[in-house]
Amino acid sequence: MPTIAVDAMGGDHAPDEVVKGVAQVSLATDIEVLLVGDERRIQEVLEGVPYDPEHIQVLHCSDAIGMAEVAHEALRNRRDASLVVGVRAVADGRADALVSAGNTGAAVLSCARHFRLLPGIRRAALASVYPRRTARPEQDRFALLLDVGATVRCDADELVQFGLMGSAYARRISKVPSPAVGLLNMGAESHKGGEVLAEAHRRLARQPGLHFVGNIEGNELVGARADVIVCEGLLGNVALKLIEGIAEAFEEVTRAAAERRLAWRVGLTLLSRGMDRLRELTDYARYGGSPILGFEHLLIKCHGRSSAAAIANAVKVAAKAVRDRVPAEVADAIAAVQ
Amino acid sequence: MRLRLHRRPPAAPPALLCRWDLDKTYLRSEFDTLRQLWRTARERGEDKVEVPGVAELMKAIKAAAERRGCLLLVYFISASPPQIGQAIRDKLALDGVPYDGIAFKDQLRNLRRGKLGSLREHVGFKLVELLRGRLAAPAQARELLFGDDWESDALTYSLYADVLAGHLRSPRLKALLGRIGVDAEIAPEILALAERAAGLDAVDRILINLERRTPPAAFQRFGRRVVPTFNYFQTALVLGAGGWLEAEDVARVAGDMVARSGYTARRLENSLGDALRRGLLAPDVADALTAPLRAAGLLPLPSAARRGWLVRLRARLRARLRRRRGRATARPGPLDYDAILEHRRPGRGAAAGAGRLR
Repeated sequence: MPTIAVDAMGGDHAPDEVVKGVAQVSLATDIEVLLVGDERRIQEVLEGVPYDPEHIQVLHCSDAIGMAEVAHEALRNRRDASLVVGVRAVADGRADALVSAGNTGAAVLSCARHFRLLPGIRRAALASVYPRRTARPEQDRFALLLDVGATVRCDADELVQFGLMGSAYARRISKVPSPAVGLLNMGAESHKGGEVLAEAHRRLARQPGLHFVGNIEGNELVGARADVIVCEGLLGNVALKLIEGIAEAFEEVTRAAAERRLAWRVGLTLLSRGMDRLRELTDYARYGGSPILGFEHLLIKCHGRSSAAAIANAVKVAAKAVRDRVPAEVADAIAAVQ
Repeated sequence: MRLRLHRRPPAAPPALLCRWDLDKTYLRSEFDTLRQLWRTARERGEDKVEVPGVAELMKAIKAAAERRGCLLLVYFISASPPQIGQAIRDKLALDGVPYDGIAFKDQLRNLRRGKLGSLREHVGFKLVELLRGRLAAPAQARELLFGDDWESDALTYSLYADVLAGHLRSPRLKALLGRIGVDAEIAPEILALAERAAGLDAVDRILINLERRTPPAAFQRFGRRVVPTFNYFQTALVLGAGGWLEAEDVARVAGDMVARSGYTARRLENSLGDALRRGLLAPDVADALTAPLRAAGLLPLPSAARRGWLVRLRARLRARLRRRRGRATARPGPLDYDAILEHRRPGRGAAAGAGRLR
């Protein structure tokens, strides 16, 4: 069984929700979890919930990086922070992967400092998993968007590598034999989006073994056409936040409508099962977390507001990625085109 | 003239009385559904499965008691009907477990008398058996009580311990029994037995096997006498820390769990870490108790890099243990049974088996 390190102090609801998520995993699976953080606080939470201590180790550290801290400053000043200690535990071989709901910038930077990039990889990418429409039963309910923030700008080489990495991840985790890869762009035509995107399009289309489906426009992000969508970090981050924002706005509008008129409240009550289904589809807790790809080790980054259920799912995803040797799959995909 | 020295022979240690619940404490009984209940009732001795490490723990307690020259008495008290007694005796014989008696609950009699409530209420039955057993045991005997988090073992055993210690006298005990729902026909017998048995604070530990993984915090109201443990390796460590077992006995239990129940060195190490963090034993005591385990490869040897971390960990745990002990001694006295009963949760699905009455 793989050992998954979990940053107990990272996230808006840490350590409570993180530790509760780990407690859930300890009861439901044989995954070994290394909880990294303030031992006293971790134990306080653990003792209040059902858990199985036979699958939980605790690695004490006294510090934590806040969600709003500047990444490079935090890493310089907080060497004993749970995120950094967790990354080091993975780098030293004490754990096989790390799960964190903490500061995203610090997570990416910490990985860059302590993990080695896979041979041939120029830059790591932060991927994000999000719900989308499906057209066929065998399609995964979730699409993979990368990069969503590890980079700002990228060249064509890097975008091609992101495509290969994302495809390798989807092959292993979503069990899609030949994932459809799209390039996020402002038009369907291959020459759109400027020189970098046009060059990336040309090269992605030429990659052997890559099922490239061409450019993907914003309105197709949640569609069934592509399983993996490639873009530079700036664009990916904006797109991801837009998807989340729309889901939240929908919830708020619905709530406001229900408060305003009785007839609307009755209508919404009648629609409640459908809306629950919609909420399920957009619930990030269901897919847990997203991987940082390109390093020899994996970090699964969870949403900052992750609940216990989201953390539990992220730990399971991390264990699955380790078992399915995702970094090796990514390395093979890159080596094949070198 | 020869000077004759009259030396008093060393006093024999008081007898040790161990009382065990059976289902979920000794046996891995499954009776969540009617089908499981039916299957359990029809099982033969060789079909029954014990909780990992429990048989070896009982043998280790016996061996340690013999080394100390201490008389050990072992009794099982089970709310199962006597009709399954033969299968249980066969199982205990197969496991080579030393015991002196088993008490079963005559459920058929309750059924015949139409006392359906008594079928699921075991506190009264167990209190009667505990008190009767006490009156038949050597007067100075010390006691260890073993139960689980499915029934209301922590409550039953705590009531019993407080009766012996003289903390619960008739009017208060009567009121509590009524509140718990103990059969009105049994209550007078309990009160009479309690009067006769009170006098010696004889219960040293109440060890609760967290078979349902009830949160340990749910047992805080029962005080430090009740020790919830997640497996019998942790129980062995607690008994080792209390002087009832030695390091070799703890190693024997751990070895059995590895050899027969698929436990790994990592799972044992994690259990040890949890016991330390919960303050069940002091780090230096843990070191002494686990040295033979590490030598035998049953626990991982710390790497050079981890040794420094372990030293720091032990320092922190020692400090925390001191704080916990300080808090514990600051709240002496009888348990707050009103609070305990207020927090019991009805229904089988409730997590807090600690206070749930069945």
